Amino acid sequence: MRPRKATRTWLSVLAIAIGVVYLFPVYWMVSSSVKPANQITSLAYDLVPLGFTLDHYLTVLTESDFLIYLRNSVIVTVTAVALAVLSGLFAALALSRFRFRGRKGFVLMVLIVQMAPFEALLIPMFLFMRDTNLLDTLPSLILVYWVITLPFTLWTLRNFVNGIPIDLEEAAMVDGCGRFQAFWKVTFPLLGPGLVACSVFAFITAWNEFLYALVLMPSGNGQTLPIFLQSFTSVFGVNWGATMATSTLFMLPVVAFFVIVQRNLVSGVTAGAVKG
Amino acid sequence: MTATAIQTTPPPRRRLETLLPYLLLAPALITLLVLLGYPALSVLTTSFRELGRGELVRGEVVWTGFDNYLEVIGDSEFWLITLRTVLFTAACVVLTIGIALLLALLMRQLTSGVRLFLQVALLLAWAMPQLSATTVFQWIFDQNYGILNKTLVAIGLDGFERYSWFTTGLSTMAIIATLIVWQAVPFVAMTLYAAVVSIPQDQYESAGLDGASSWQTFRNVTLPPLAPMLALVTFMSILWDFKVFAQVWAFREGGPSGGSTTMPVLQYVEGIARGNFGLAAAISVLMVIVLMAISAQYLRLLLRAQGSER
Repeated sequence: MRPRKATRTWLSVLAIAIGVVYLFPVYWMVSSSVKPANQITSLAYDLVPLGFTLDHYLTVLTESDFLIYLRNSVIVTVTAVALAVLSGLFAALALSRFRFRGRKGFVLMVLIVQMAPFEALLIPMFLFMRDTNLLDTLPSLILVYWVITLPFTLWTLRNFVNGIPIDLEEAAMVDGCGRFQAFWKVTFPLLGPGLVACSVFAFITAWNEFLYALVLMPSGNGQTLPIFLQSFTSVFGVNWGATMATSTLFMLPVVAFFVIVQRNLVSGVTAGAVKG
Repeated sequence: MTATAIQTTPPPRRRLETLLPYLLLAPALITLLVLLGYPALSVLTTSFRELGRGELVRGEVVWTGFDNYLEVIGDSEFWLITLRTVLFTAACVVLTIGIALLLALLMRQLTSGVRLFLQVALLLAWAMPQLSATTVFQWIFDQNYGILNKTLVAIGLDGFERYSWFTTGLSTMAIIATLIVWQAVPFVAMTLYAAVVSIPQDQYESAGLDGASSWQTFRNVTLPPLAPMLALVTFMSILWDFKVFAQVWAFREGGPSGGSTTMPVLQYVEGIARGNFGLAAAISVLMVIVLMAISAQYLRLLLRAQGSER
């Protein structure tokens, strides 16, 4: 059913309008971050920056603890993602390349766990980290982010491994490869896109996480960037230019990763939930 | 491989073969048991204990049965917060799914250039970290220099000069909901669009030949193949929107005077800020029960779909 030309034009105009509305907050964040300070605190009406300055970025990088928070965020996120992807890949291989007792039960468990509202475990998690003396240390967040990102990672990788026929490995084994060697030489290279997609989704989840970062770092040491951003705006008399600069810096790696996985974006998120 | 070759396989190797899957599974399984299974049990046991900062320091274990639950559900404030959370979730989900479905149908009708522009716009909003998005919304709605008030004044509504958008719980919740929906729509729209694209064009053509109205076409051609995907994204949206903490907390920390406090915020305030861990654990359990109650319908649908596929 092709709509008439006039209707099509209207639909295009509508779509462009929606796109502009959608882009506005992103544009407003970036443009405010390079606006001169006196324009930010002026009552004049303006939608475009009347100058270009990197002062806000300099303020954030030199006069605040941004770099310390950034370091914490990077350490926690990268370590947690590496652990989740590694342990997830091992488990995915076990589920998809072996038949063993308890396999079905484990699959069901992962399915249920995927939907579990992890936020409801806040209190026992706090007590657990307190009892093990991990409060205020980065390993507490690493452990939590590992387990938060694990179910999805495991499930998605399992789907990826299932998508690679076992015949290839078996053929390699007939040619004299060991089981492990066959996997390493044949299947692993084909898993590349799946590993990248999983890592990115896990990264974004951990990079954004706020509640546990707030709760498990009560003294403020080892807090991550989301907490830093919130503390920026909760104090009275906000420096909006610096806040927007920080928000922009915080968004950059996520955008970069989004570009990498844009192909798998939609199928990636729903794959875990749709494909049995 | 011949049969004799199999018989000569040394037994130790075979034992390793049977053990291997369990060894591969171990890291993930142990992590899930220790960091998810144990806390899940622990939240239940804690909810039946009197556990405040005092008991915690003294290491006392005081069992109080259902006292925590009775105290929580005996408080009218709790019911107000529960109702607020459910309504907030419902509003976010309905708006998200509705707008996303319209966008998905719209995208099908666009020329590729316009569609790409719209998709890039959606993608950027989706990629924006929650806290970045929250700070930008706070800046847009800022009382003194926010672009929204400036715009309203510019078009002649002078009453909005230095207007505060956060004086009531309702308007605060509305702004948070706007933010949530704005960030949630892209994923849902893209997902639904992927499903819309896979509907064969000839079905639309035959519907057109039969003289079906556009509503009938939507009902009979578009909706049936979309239904399972719609159920899925609705369910996912309920899960996400119900649990939202970061955005709510970052805006007004549940204020003004508790007006934007939702169940996740209550759990945090009661447990972490006030140190009533037993009470907070009971709130956590009730939160999960409420969440299960409002998503049970979809859960059943999904599990049935999963079961049929295996």
